[in-house]
Amino acid sequence: MTETGLTMLNRTADGVARATPEPLARRVRGMSDKGLAWLFISPTILLLLAINIFPLIWAIQLSFTNYRANRPNELVKNVGLSNYQRILNDPDIWIAMQTTAHFVFWTIVLQTLIGFSLAYLIDRKFRGHAFWTTIILVPMMLSPAVVGNFWRFLYQPQIGLFAYAVSFVTGIPPTQIEMLSNVSLAPWSIIIVDTWMWTPYVMLICLAGLRSIPEYIYEAAEVDRASNWRQFWSITLPMALPFIMLAVLFRGIENFKMFDMVNLLTGGGPGSTTEVASITLKRQAFESWRTGYSSAFAIILFVAVFGLANIYVKALNKVKQR
Amino acid sequence: MAEVHINGVTKSFGERAAVSNLDLHIADGEFVVLLGPTGAGKTTTLRLIAGLEKPETGKIHIGGRDATDLEPAARDTAFVFQQYSLYPHLSVFDNLAFPLRSPARRFSEDAVRRRVGDVAKMVRIDHKLSSRATKLSGGEMQRVAIGRALVRKPAIYLMDEPLSSLDAKLRADLRLELKRIQAELGATMLYVTHDQIEAMTMADRIGILTDGVLVQIGTPKTIYTEPANLHVAARLGQPAINLLPTGLLPDADAPTGTKTIGARTEHLTIEKAVNGHADGTVDWVEHLGDQNHLHVTVGSKKLVTLTDPDTDLAKGDRIMIRYRAPLFFDAAGDRIANR
Repeated sequence: MTETGLTMLNRTADGVARATPEPLARRVRGMSDKGLAWLFISPTILLLLAINIFPLIWAIQLSFTNYRANRPNELVKNVGLSNYQRILNDPDIWIAMQTTAHFVFWTIVLQTLIGFSLAYLIDRKFRGHAFWTTIILVPMMLSPAVVGNFWRFLYQPQIGLFAYAVSFVTGIPPTQIEMLSNVSLAPWSIIIVDTWMWTPYVMLICLAGLRSIPEYIYEAAEVDRASNWRQFWSITLPMALPFIMLAVLFRGIENFKMFDMVNLLTGGGPGSTTEVASITLKRQAFESWRTGYSSAFAIILFVAVFGLANIYVKALNKVKQR
Repeated sequence: MAEVHINGVTKSFGERAAVSNLDLHIADGEFVVLLGPTGAGKTTTLRLIAGLEKPETGKIHIGGRDATDLEPAARDTAFVFQQYSLYPHLSVFDNLAFPLRSPARRFSEDAVRRRVGDVAKMVRIDHKLSSRATKLSGGEMQRVAIGRALVRKPAIYLMDEPLSSLDAKLRADLRLELKRIQAELGATMLYVTHDQIEAMTMADRIGILTDGVLVQIGTPKTIYTEPANLHVAARLGQPAINLLPTGLLPDADAPTGTKTIGARTEHLTIEKAVNGHADGTVDWVEHLGDQNHLHVTVGSKKLVTLTDPDTDLAKGDRIMIRYRAPLFFDAAGDRIANR
């Protein structure tokens, strides 16, 4: 069946080729259209192979060995699945995963709530809304390294503005507000910074969603006597939902591998209270130099994110098709 | 159902007056069609009644109540938009049920189901109740949009070119259905269109709008046979009325002051020239099947008229043309009443 279809297709294609003038490529260089297409995409493909696919394959290979990057001359032994086994049985790893999940959960909840609310307000198109949109977007445009460093100053108990402001409101002396070194505050200090920096991003996507809802649907609802509350729940939210879900997906993936902010602000401390998976990974790879072991961990993280993202995208498509 | 009074309503967008000093009275159970070209203020009139726009001056009364400053929800109107404006994430059933589920109404779920079922049957969409609104064809979407207006029993139905985006066949079908439904419900309806056939076939009265001004309002027959001016005359009739200067053809019985003579097909008699004298020549004959369009040159003017499908006139024929009780217009473009 397929073969017949294919032969028929070829015959048609031949017929067409004979009837119409030859494509430019064939006339000029004796090159087929397909060859030309490959020529054009090859730089991208090569780059992708060199910086994405090749390291990935190498990491997979390393994950089955006891290789250590700081001892290149030592004999490399194939250890099979034992790296994976040890990781999955390591309680510290599971604690790091829990810490990561905690970060991902709270950053998404806060950024979605605040981001959508901001988008909803900006969408009212009040006087000067374009100006405020730009102002709100500023944190997102900064370099994470800069953000991390100046929030360290803001969080500073003696001279930091954050501690001062909190103490001004609550009356607690600023020196007791040790955001980065207090065990119970440190995780929240990172959640706050990440939310401050990336809520604008969520807002932007939500705003695109809200702007995509045509005005006449609201007018129809208004004539149909739907209250503002009902318009929000039965029109605004369902129609913006695919966009909100997209924002959650992007932020979720991004925060699952959150590294820069944690490394700059707390370095995983105090103790290991803010040690997310990527910090553990860095410590194993570049402090303990257990290259094979950390490669295995990286692969596990990759599969986890990939799997979760796939399930999520399926759900997203279902929502979009409704 | 209720009557609607619009008195001296003006609405501008920037410098341009979309509707100026509009007076319109729609009786209870009446089907009024507003006819006019794009930008004449038809849609603005509907939106003013629905409360989606606020007038600068004038009053709008719906069912005897001053509605000028009321919110759309408080006015008890139903609106069918030109773009289907269905709720895309809802099923056909939920779209139809949407207006009934307003807290202001409080229908039991049972009553909602019964009413939606009735209306769905009326607009012939009952076989698609569980489909997503986005999965429907254009005609089906517009049926749902009309149905969504019909589930309520508002003071007035406002329809903004509901059939304009449909194909010709569907448009003809829905035109009949809409008229049937309106008659069945005894509904008060204000219907906006630029299609003269819709206006002629459905309306109890037609209002002709130009540049925000209501030029004439009356029964289709009045508008057609006694147009107030050149503009109204030009809006109705297919092919369009021929506007000819006096003196082009014998017009001895034209009243004094006549500047332009309006001649539709029924105002012209055409015969082949027998002796030397002829008024014009046939340019070509357009065969439409059931009838023919005859294109004629008279002096410097071109004329289009209808002829029988079996006409023996052909391109190049020299012909005699005579008026048969045509319309007369003065220099200002107003029609001069026949004595």
